Amino acid sequence: MTKPSIPVGIICSQHGPYQAMGRELLKSSMMAVDEINSQDGFDFSISAHVRDPRGVVSEYHTACDDLIRNVGVEHIVGCYTSASRKQVLPIVERTDRLLWHPARYEGFECSDNVIYVGASPNHNVLPLVRYVLDNLSREIFCVGSNYVWSWETNRVTRELATAAGGRILAERLLELGESAVGHIVDEIVRRRPPVVFNTLVGSSSYDFIRAFHAATTAAGLNIPMVSCSLCEPELKIVGPASAGCITSSAYFESIRLPENRAFVARWKARYGEHSSPSVDGQSAYVAVYLLARALQRAGTSDIGEVRRAAAGHRYNSPQGPVWIDGSNNHCVLTPRLAVSNAEGQFDIFWEADAPVKPDPYLTQLDVAASPARDATSPNAPHLRVVK
Amino acid sequence: MTKPSSFSLRGRKALVAIKDERDASIVRRQFERLGIDIVTWDGDAHIDCRPDVTLIDDEFLPLASPAQRTSLGRSPVIALLGTETPSRLKLVLELDPASFLVKPLRSAGIYAALVLAFERSERTNELKQQVLKLEQRLRSRRVVLAAVLQVMHTHALAEPAAFALIRRAAMEQRKTIEEISAEITANGSLPRATG
Repeated sequence: MTKPSIPVGIICSQHGPYQAMGRELLKSSMMAVDEINSQDGFDFSISAHVRDPRGVVSEYHTACDDLIRNVGVEHIVGCYTSASRKQVLPIVERTDRLLWHPARYEGFECSDNVIYVGASPNHNVLPLVRYVLDNLSREIFCVGSNYVWSWETNRVTRELATAAGGRILAERLLELGESAVGHIVDEIVRRRPPVVFNTLVGSSSYDFIRAFHAATTAAGLNIPMVSCSLCEPELKIVGPASAGCITSSAYFESIRLPENRAFVARWKARYGEHSSPSVDGQSAYVAVYLLARALQRAGTSDIGEVRRAAAGHRYNSPQGPVWIDGSNNHCVLTPRLAVSNAEGQFDIFWEADAPVKPDPYLTQLDVAASPARDATSPNAPHLRVVK
Repeated sequence: MTKPSSFSLRGRKALVAIKDERDASIVRRQFERLGIDIVTWDGDAHIDCRPDVTLIDDEFLPLASPAQRTSLGRSPVIALLGTETPSRLKLVLELDPASFLVKPLRSAGIYAALVLAFERSERTNELKQQVLKLEQRLRSRRVVLAAVLQVMHTHALAEPAAFALIRRAAMEQRKTIEEISAEITANGSLPRATG
């Protein structure tokens, strides 16, 4: 007997400044769709309707409108940047659809019509900045793309650094897709900051990492770079210059879990031995599975029923156990820190003891309680003038 | 004591007066996410708590008594607007709102309205303190003028030199110009320099 088919929209940019990540989202989503469609455990199949907004913000609105109006989807997986999600948000809220958003983002949003599958700021930014403050320096040079992800990440970094007696040495921002990075690299070589926090996205980031590596190597400098977005496919794009970047993420290809080993094996069988899944791609895979499991449990595609069915149910995903916190529609995940190596992989050196509740508004953040303030820390707080 | 950041809302207490149950449930959910405690108010009873912020539906306006207006004035007010007609806005303006939201509510916007309300209230309070201080200084200008005239007369000085002398005396004694001027007019002479 043929299973009933449920249409699901998939919106990801396969062209434009972050096309590499968009393609990763699509590959992972389609892998999950095909797996689900071949399993007996699901009494329906998913019919994927893919749209490519080409990295143009306004095109996300058009794609979403088309999927809802002409295809009749109730569920959409996709969007990458916050600007793209904000384009889609009014339509999914007005028409009461559900957007399954895979990418990690800066937080401070909580729509009933979005399931936020990626990391919240307490999952990625906080562990990284606290690691930097405790182990590298309390003076940080920030380089980012001129949009909300970098603005908010830098804001949190500044608050934590200031509370720890440190400071932001510089905040340099480039427009999305900008490749003129030379002046920032020159400034870094001249000022020799103790650490560089890179929140650039897409091609700007790749250009910056290569130029940074070349310039610091030529100058005989060893300045650590940290990131909370770099992933394995990007390490391959950047090449050898990407080694040594300390990165915060909920997913690395090198996670030693049986679910991940099996996932990576299936991935490589499908996309080639030399390809690697990414954090956002893996998250898109998780999003499709969370959706399918909720559809199965709910027995309907009605979004209210699916949302209720999705909340609180643990899924042993490649990145470990994840589940949706019903109070805010964000995912409970396990934060990790790793350093990129010369083979285009990450060596994980820290992970949380247990999955961490999402805190999209950082309500639990107490900057004064930062471990970086610990007097026993090797980096003693600097004396400051009290006004 | 460090003043709480306007961006961190955990542990704050809100008085909430909302008629529509759907709007009320959106506020309850969002406040729970933000760690804000809620005290509900139905618009009739006496307000017997000291909230950090008040959310009031314009359907509760005008308020039943001046006492209620005084109670609400103790914390920043966020008005929930159902209509933008001037007659309704006039009632809302009487509450001197620090921020507003448009009904029907969405979760988006509530955090921003709260942050704006706390920040606006903080800045308004600072301005009020500054105005008080300036008013006080304005009142004491008469005393300063009298002191300058007295020093000009007793020391045969021009006005700028007399004022400079008073200012130096104030600095030496770590007092304000107004305080030292009051002493000069009371004693009839400049206080003796110390140190």
